[in-house]
Amino acid sequence: MTTTSIERNEAGAPLISVRDLSVSYDVARTGKRLTAIEGVDLDVHEGEFITVLGPSGCGKTTFMNVVAGLVKPTTGTVLVGGSPVTGPGPDRAVVFQDYALLPWRTVFDNVKFGLEMQKELKGAGWRERVQEAIELVGLAGFEQSYPRELSGGMQQRVGLARAVVAEPRILLMDEPLGAVDALTREVMRDEIEKLMAATGKTVLFITHSIEEAILLGDRIVVFKSHPGAIKEIIETGLERPRSERSIQHDPRFLELRDHLWDALQGEATAAAVSK
Amino acid sequence: MSAFLAAGPNLGRGGIGAWLAGLSPAGKAGVLAIEVVVMLVVWQLVVGVFGWINPVFLPPPTAIAQGFVELVAGGTLWPNMLISAQAWLIGFAIAAVIAIPVGLLMGSSLPMDRVVGPIAWTIYATPTIAYQPLAKAWFGFGIGPVIFLVAVSALFPILLNVAAGMRTTNASIIRAGKVYGASRTQLYRSVYLPSTVPFLFAGLRQAVVLATIGMVVAELAGSASGMGALIIKAANTYQTDQAFAAIAIVVAWSVGMTQVVTLVERWAAPWTRKGRR
Repeated sequence: MTTTSIERNEAGAPLISVRDLSVSYDVARTGKRLTAIEGVDLDVHEGEFITVLGPSGCGKTTFMNVVAGLVKPTTGTVLVGGSPVTGPGPDRAVVFQDYALLPWRTVFDNVKFGLEMQKELKGAGWRERVQEAIELVGLAGFEQSYPRELSGGMQQRVGLARAVVAEPRILLMDEPLGAVDALTREVMRDEIEKLMAATGKTVLFITHSIEEAILLGDRIVVFKSHPGAIKEIIETGLERPRSERSIQHDPRFLELRDHLWDALQGEATAAAVSK
Repeated sequence: MSAFLAAGPNLGRGGIGAWLAGLSPAGKAGVLAIEVVVMLVVWQLVVGVFGWINPVFLPPPTAIAQGFVELVAGGTLWPNMLISAQAWLIGFAIAAVIAIPVGLLMGSSLPMDRVVGPIAWTIYATPTIAYQPLAKAWFGFGIGPVIFLVAVSALFPILLNVAAGMRTTNASIIRAGKVYGASRTQLYRSVYLPSTVPFLFAGLRQAVVLATIGMVVAELAGSASGMGALIIKAANTYQTDQAFAAIAIVVAWSVGMTQVVTLVERWAAPWTRKGRR
């Protein structure tokens, strides 16, 4: 890595520390025990943007759910800020693939949801914070709209605003652009890159898009399936700020893309055969 | 016919379907009004003008209107209507008051669901009319059996819909609630309950129709008053025009109350307003 900020961060204790993490559960229908992920080790430093890349069913979402506190580890430990994860907490926010907005709430009320649940609506200034977040994601003027009145891309902007308004230390994004149309996806990739560069948040970004993983990540964690485990971790080493257009012809981008293609092709074929 | 089928279902994508889908509320009401008028005119022609059907069995619309006037003039309409409305409203209120909390409990607790569910479905599956003689025995000949049958008829669609709404709360939204720190109580208040609301109103709409059936069934046999009694008395004396007038009023009540439920839903749950259809 060339940027000094990353080097400085790497000197301190990692913000997320995962050691020998495994998750398995019994499948009631077949009576078999299924191992979702096995032996995962990962350190994430403050301010790092980690993309987690892998084929469908490789356990990358399970991995994220453990960090989010929604799934308990079967073995191993997950530390966030030095203390073990026992459940969801205000230091972590999640952006969901299917947006997971509350359909009965307007954009404004959806964005304030996190603050409301954490009882932060008492103090002054929360309205301004909500409004700021809405403007940050480019939804000014849609405060009183209901989610079903918005396009998929706009709904995900609401999901993004809801996550950043609570000012978490870590943003967990579970294929946030997976359900968005192709054109909007490209625009929003650039926006997420800008937004995260501006806020300096630590991000764990799950994706199955190679381009997305390279464009956004400082490091790419490649998952393999059956059982889900880390195959390799790659530093992208691309200059920031980046954009969809600026990296298209970068030799490093092309090199990474070819490498990841080869890595994933084997995985995708293996996954297809084992199904 | 085959060409019609080949075009697939017409749900507003083209032709007359698209035209209908694009109508304003006033335009939609206009189309409905035209439909009603055409139906009444055809009915009047078939029975009243050409005399293809004996008007004693199926009186023409003008005769039914005449029957309505007779009912009003004879002073029998208002008291019977009031009795029926009273029984309906009391029975419906009882049903809602019992069904909503029990439905919520059933939807949020699997043991409750396993215990109450089979009982609820069994009673729901039984034709209301089967309870009619029993209701007479239990509650006598007044308004009691009518209230009972209205309540029994309205209870289960509300209860089962509320339970289903609670049970089918979107798992992804529940996860979002947990991630953003909702406590158990907050999760119920801010996630489960609101997502049950559209189901509640769907249940209430079904309940309106079934409650009205329950009311008429209870009043038809052996009741001295109410709209059902009015219908049976008129029919027994071959005053079919009056019987049809009374039936029309019951139908209007049922449709009207369904509309009331829909209006309350629009006010209480504006997010459920569907796209234009």
